[in-house]
Amino acid sequence: MKAKYQVVFVLLLIVVMSASVFGAPFDPETFVYVGGAGAPQTLDPAAAYDTASGEVIHQVYDTLFEYVDGDLEQLGPMLATEVPSVENGLMSEDGLTIRVPIRQGVKFHNGAVLTPEDVRYTFLRNMLSDPAGGPMWMFLEPLLDVQTMAKVIEMAGGPADFAEIDEVDAEVLRRAYDLVAATIEVDGNDVVFHLATPYPPFINILTKGGSWGAILNKEWMIANGAWDGDPETWSQWYDLALEDMTCYDKANGTGPFKLETWDKSGNQTIFSRFDEYWQGPAKIKTAFIKDIKELSTRLLMLQAGDADGIYVGKDELNQVRSLDNVVVIEGLPQVVNTVLFYSFTIPTEGNEDLVGSGKLDGNGIPSDFFADVDIRKAFNYSFDYEAYLNEVAEGAGVIPKGPIPQILPFVNLDQEYYTHDLAKAEEHFKKAFGGEVWEKGFEVGIVYNTGNDQRKTALEILEYNIESINPKFKVNVVSMEWATMLDKLRSSSLPIFIIGWLMDFPDTHNFAVPYMHSDGTFAGYCGQGLIDLAKEEFDDLVNAGIKATDPEEREKIYFELQKRYVDLAIGMPYVEETTHRVMRDWVRNFHYSPAWSANFDFYSVYKEVK
Amino acid sequence: MLTFIARRLLFLPIVLIGVTLMVFVVMSFLTPYQLVSAYIKSPEELKNQSLDDLVRKYGLDQPAHIRYINWVKNLLKGDLGYSKSANMRVTEAISKRFPATIELALFSIIPVIFGGIWLGTISAKHYNRPLDHISRTFAIIGWSLPDFVFGLIMLMIFYGVLGWFPPGRLSMWADTIVLTGDFVRYTGMNTVDAILNWRWDIFLDALRHLAAPIITLSYLWWAYLLRITRSSMLEVLNKDYVRTARAKGLGEKVVVNRHVRRNALIPVATVSGSMVLGLLGGVVIVETVFDYKGIGLLTATGAQQLDYTLILGTTLFYGLLLVVTNLIVDVLYAFIDPRVRLE
Repeated sequence: MKAKYQVVFVLLLIVVMSASVFGAPFDPETFVYVGGAGAPQTLDPAAAYDTASGEVIHQVYDTLFEYVDGDLEQLGPMLATEVPSVENGLMSEDGLTIRVPIRQGVKFHNGAVLTPEDVRYTFLRNMLSDPAGGPMWMFLEPLLDVQTMAKVIEMAGGPADFAEIDEVDAEVLRRAYDLVAATIEVDGNDVVFHLATPYPPFINILTKGGSWGAILNKEWMIANGAWDGDPETWSQWYDLALEDMTCYDKANGTGPFKLETWDKSGNQTIFSRFDEYWQGPAKIKTAFIKDIKELSTRLLMLQAGDADGIYVGKDELNQVRSLDNVVVIEGLPQVVNTVLFYSFTIPTEGNEDLVGSGKLDGNGIPSDFFADVDIRKAFNYSFDYEAYLNEVAEGAGVIPKGPIPQILPFVNLDQEYYTHDLAKAEEHFKKAFGGEVWEKGFEVGIVYNTGNDQRKTALEILEYNIESINPKFKVNVVSMEWATMLDKLRSSSLPIFIIGWLMDFPDTHNFAVPYMHSDGTFAGYCGQGLIDLAKEEFDDLVNAGIKATDPEEREKIYFELQKRYVDLAIGMPYVEETTHRVMRDWVRNFHYSPAWSANFDFYSVYKEVK
Repeated sequence: MLTFIARRLLFLPIVLIGVTLMVFVVMSFLTPYQLVSAYIKSPEELKNQSLDDLVRKYGLDQPAHIRYINWVKNLLKGDLGYSKSANMRVTEAISKRFPATIELALFSIIPVIFGGIWLGTISAKHYNRPLDHISRTFAIIGWSLPDFVFGLIMLMIFYGVLGWFPPGRLSMWADTIVLTGDFVRYTGMNTVDAILNWRWDIFLDALRHLAAPIITLSYLWWAYLLRITRSSMLEVLNKDYVRTARAKGLGEKVVVNRHVRRNALIPVATVSGSMVLGLLGGVVIVETVFDYKGIGLLTATGAQQLDYTLILGTTLFYGLLLVVTNLIVDVLYAFIDPRVRLE
């Protein structure tokens, strides 16, 4: 053999041999989770509002309270020492004052010891920074009865609308600060929250689940460029771009893992065990969260033992169920629902691809097509809920009873809901628009976001059934890129669209507002018609529901809201799905909570070969 | 030659303004609410979002020409803006992802070009004989296979079955050292940095991760080079000077290596130039399958998410790369073929 070929051969041999020398098939102290749903947007608890960010924050930070064994109905203390209640005297009778004793001797990753001032600073700093699109409304609403810092500024005598905060008078800003600062005080070793309005789920918001309750270290934050605590300067940190916020890509929490690095170019986060963790060190020493889009790559990593857990979509589960050494845990409850929305006022101009002629002439739909309750009911009766649940969702979930997931309290499980009943659908179609719809027919485009095959199938079920009722009915299922869909949503131009809602905190209010309130997330996308209806039918009840402290009263209110939503067929909630996890069989002590953003809690898991 | 190079370089700013302006004009057809999809990536992220607030916050409501002028102003300060899809500044994203692509290109280009030329030479030498048919069939199969499918097959064989060549750029143990230890990043290329840090374990690990993408790219591109080399060789083999060389009694090996192949390489050099450019521009599918985080994947993700700062930044970068690579290829021509004069 020629010398040059020998060199190439030897080099190749070295590379191949190194596979066995340097490859680590099983490392009991390293845990690797490979997701596929995208990278975190930010690691700052004041701004993080997506699952991938929450996944990282979950491992690094602690909160004041936690769900015992992940059970949403069992609150336990974490960085607090007791869960406030009227019974233990830590909550006032009216629910407006909540006293939280802070645990002593807890250390942050930088060695600093947790103080009540850290807790106060955390929530003040987070509320004052209030980045657009962030989760801070969850604190501003109970503590100040508004949703944004801009509204606090308005309360303090500032302008109702401003382009830049520099335009706001310094005195107004100071008054706004005072309003926020007065909501949280330190009293000895306790932190006292003063609520503007009774807010039964306030403690849930402070509980480990989402990332917004994470406790920061004041000293470290200031040293790293965060707000210095000066009442006169807070506006410099108001509504910054995510990447300009202090904790955007670094962290110092009290949690069981330290953030080693967020390797953005490699789409991975690396954690190391915090040996001084107040609950004792974790069994896992190093953990990785990686993001790999391609399922085949993730699957091969799992099979090769390079991943301990991976993300697999529900419609891809068939590919993993029969794999050796792989465990699939299914049927995990989650607080989520998927809803088909109707737009009550659809612009017809420039929207011909979806509404056709814009008239009730058999070749389109008029702007107020879905404002007719009979049309909405007819659509709701046309959907085959059972078929979807069994065939598409593979039986993993339940059919809803309204817009509030049944896992939450105050849901009337006896509420009569829509079923697949084409006779009733026909009856309502005949009534709609005084019989004109039945007579003339219609054509409408219904939209799903490109790539979401489950939603496509849901719409196809609807299409098939509606078209079978009357040959004059034409339903076109339209695939739309998300950017275009977003543009059309904003102008309420989509006659029908599907969106899911995953809870922020486990309370009925968290679903009542987005689905039913005129200021809720979805009302704006469904047109003025729904906003007007919501003001009339829902707003007062939704507002009363959150202010009521008596559970019986709350139940009465939410039952009524649920009934009205179903009677008026505001939308069509069609499934409440469970979730699942896919992992190697050597993963032990897997814990789960519907409240957690994290797929795996690195503190509880460990690895052991059978 | 210097005049030629200077003149080509003078065109550079015009080319760059042209391509970025073109991208901007296309992007200006998008509404602010389409552009805001870079910040709200799915229907589930609509929670409590005020689209108007986000549009205002990120200046997406400004007229396109104002945004372009602002972009150029920042560019002159060396700032290409912030990429939402990459979660970092565009300059940082390019500087972190491009070394990975260069590394893959450098390691791939040798087997791709030399393998292709070797196969082409064998085919031409054994024209219409079994070896010609076998090598052509072998290469054409590679050319016909979709890269996604072939990449997955390679991954399954070399990683899933044999466990030799894992996806990614480094193993997790190596990542821990490189990202969190005292390891110094000099170039961003793992193999080079490993040598400079005297970490042979990391060097070998990096090679292991490069192997499967290199094999995939090589096989996929051999057919292309084989055909160019073969036809060029066949043309040269029939030239008078080749006949003369043989008549002089020169051995077949000398004739082929010294007289035929060298002259047949000119079209091969042209094609190779564009291949290098293709490799440097990133190979999205191969990067996706092998989870190799290069610039191709970065650009594709940015484009999918309408991340216009990233799209503009990478367009500018590709423009620069295109002009410079073409210039290098033109200069190389003059070296390979003395008949070519740069004017």
